[in-house]
Amino acid sequence: MSVYKHDYRAYSGRITPAWARVGVLVRYGLAEAWSSKITIGLGLASMIPFIIFLIQIYLANNPATRLLVSRNNLRFLDVDAEYFLRALEAQCWFALPLMSWVAPRLITYDLADSALPILLSHPISRFGYVLGKFVAAFASLASVTVLPCLVLFVYQCYCAPPGWTMANLSIAFGIVAGTTIWITLLSMVGLAFSSWVKWRTLATGVIFAAVLVPAGVGGIVTAVLRTRWGMLLNLPFMMTQLWQRLLGVPEMVRTARDWSLPSAAILVMLIASCLVCAAMLNARIRGREVVRG
Amino acid sequence: MGIVDLDRLEVRLGGRIVLNGLTGELRGNAIGLLGPNGAGKSTLINTLLGFHLPSSGGARVFGLDSRHDRARIRQGIGYMPENDSFIGNLSGVRFVRYMAELAGLPPGEALERAHEALFYVGLGEVRYRKVSTYSLGMKQLIKLAQALAHGPKLLILDEPTNGLDPVARQRMIQTIKEIRKAGSIRLLISSHLLRDIDETCDEVLILKDGRIAALCNIEEERRSHRNFIELETAGATEQFAVNVRGLGCECASFPGGRIKLVMPDRLEARDLYVIAGEQGVQIRRMSQRRDSLEDIFLRAMGNEGQAANVGL
Repeated sequence: MSVYKHDYRAYSGRITPAWARVGVLVRYGLAEAWSSKITIGLGLASMIPFIIFLIQIYLANNPATRLLVSRNNLRFLDVDAEYFLRALEAQCWFALPLMSWVAPRLITYDLADSALPILLSHPISRFGYVLGKFVAAFASLASVTVLPCLVLFVYQCYCAPPGWTMANLSIAFGIVAGTTIWITLLSMVGLAFSSWVKWRTLATGVIFAAVLVPAGVGGIVTAVLRTRWGMLLNLPFMMTQLWQRLLGVPEMVRTARDWSLPSAAILVMLIASCLVCAAMLNARIRGREVVRG
Repeated sequence: MGIVDLDRLEVRLGGRIVLNGLTGELRGNAIGLLGPNGAGKSTLINTLLGFHLPSSGGARVFGLDSRHDRARIRQGIGYMPENDSFIGNLSGVRFVRYMAELAGLPPGEALERAHEALFYVGLGEVRYRKVSTYSLGMKQLIKLAQALAHGPKLLILDEPTNGLDPVARQRMIQTIKEIRKAGSIRLLISSHLLRDIDETCDEVLILKDGRIAALCNIEEERRSHRNFIELETAGATEQFAVNVRGLGCECASFPGGRIKLVMPDRLEARDLYVIAGEQGVQIRRMSQRRDSLEDIFLRAMGNEGQAANVGL
């Protein structure tokens, strides 16, 4: 019916399956997140280290460059687990400002205008809503973390002599596992804090603070109490240690041994952080607020 | 089976009983939900939508349990909340399309229906503007548009005329009447404005302190009081009143020749003129008063704490 025919008519067409509604949230979430020029700028900026690492792989596998390197005995062109750790760290830290900007766009617009009653009055659950937003955040972060790192690995496999791929397959696993853990945690933190701060700019700052302030507190605890357990509040330190172990980089290369934390303790801390974020989301993402008293 | 069936529905929020043992069957095409502020109107709507779980008892919408069939209930419901509820950063058409897609319409159909719904409610010309730039009346209308876009079986309107100026209010009421007239959608309208309900609904559920104060068909209720008559007379008024009582009417005389009476069903207004003619009394004005919704409401409010089914 043409739009100028103003009569109301019931809808009798096809209905999409229930799981597809999450996809709708993802699609609109991604569109909203990437409609900002700042998001595009951050995305492009995150490609700078990727391009540098890509050139480095090319040079490392270029016979003429190798000849030069061997003449000068330089190690900087070695493409090994430590090289991929540097790439992983660079890309993953670009994900933090990106998440700080993207997560508030995904959630705070809905909260600022009290859109949740309307959104949740449709056949989608609270879990479905959070899942949709989470997938949008995760996909945005994956585009600047796991994808570039895997592209680097694939390019190195292509350029390297036969046998390199099979000998270093654990690096690919480390990249996928390390980035997945990081962007899952970052997405949860981003969404949880965005759901509690309606003002978008403030939410961006709060997400940064949520990662960096505990790190500072952890450093103080470690220094004052002379215990390594304070580093459990230091998310950057914990993630660096985890990435080292996942990629198989010797720890002495990266950190002082007496500060190292058990992997189990790191994982427990990360899971606890995710659970806290889930509880924060559960408290805020509701069709109606319940006033106690 | 009614549109909404309530079975000893009790809802507690924050440790307080907000809905207390509601039992009833709502069958009308347009059901009004009346009550003073804090009576539990919005809580009942939120419970039907599955936002609140009953602490005991239950509610069914189109035979579906509000506790277990939330997704299926929501599939068939269009909801217009009381307060501002929209995504201000989206254009009108994108917002309505988004909601239609969430309701299960494929993207193409959702876009088409979004345009139609916006034209239907009168926002066709501003559909590409961001919702945040809309006036209050427009925001009310876009909430209505998104509730209609997916073609629901039941449209729940929570205070639809909230904050509207008289012209916008009249337009909203007219739109609701048109939707009701179209007949494919049942309406559940919550309001504390009697006039809104009076103009749009055929059944009313009146809540007070979380209990049902009255549940009645407005037309039937009016019909049951149709024989209440007020007269203004001149001449031998007292004798006229005596003769009217002789016909079996309940009658009361007031100064200035005013008479109020309730006629038995067997009598008609013509009989009064016959007696007046015989007595030489002039009947200068006769009004056959219908019970207004206000009367029904005030009577219900008087039934403090009683869950009375008034004439269903």
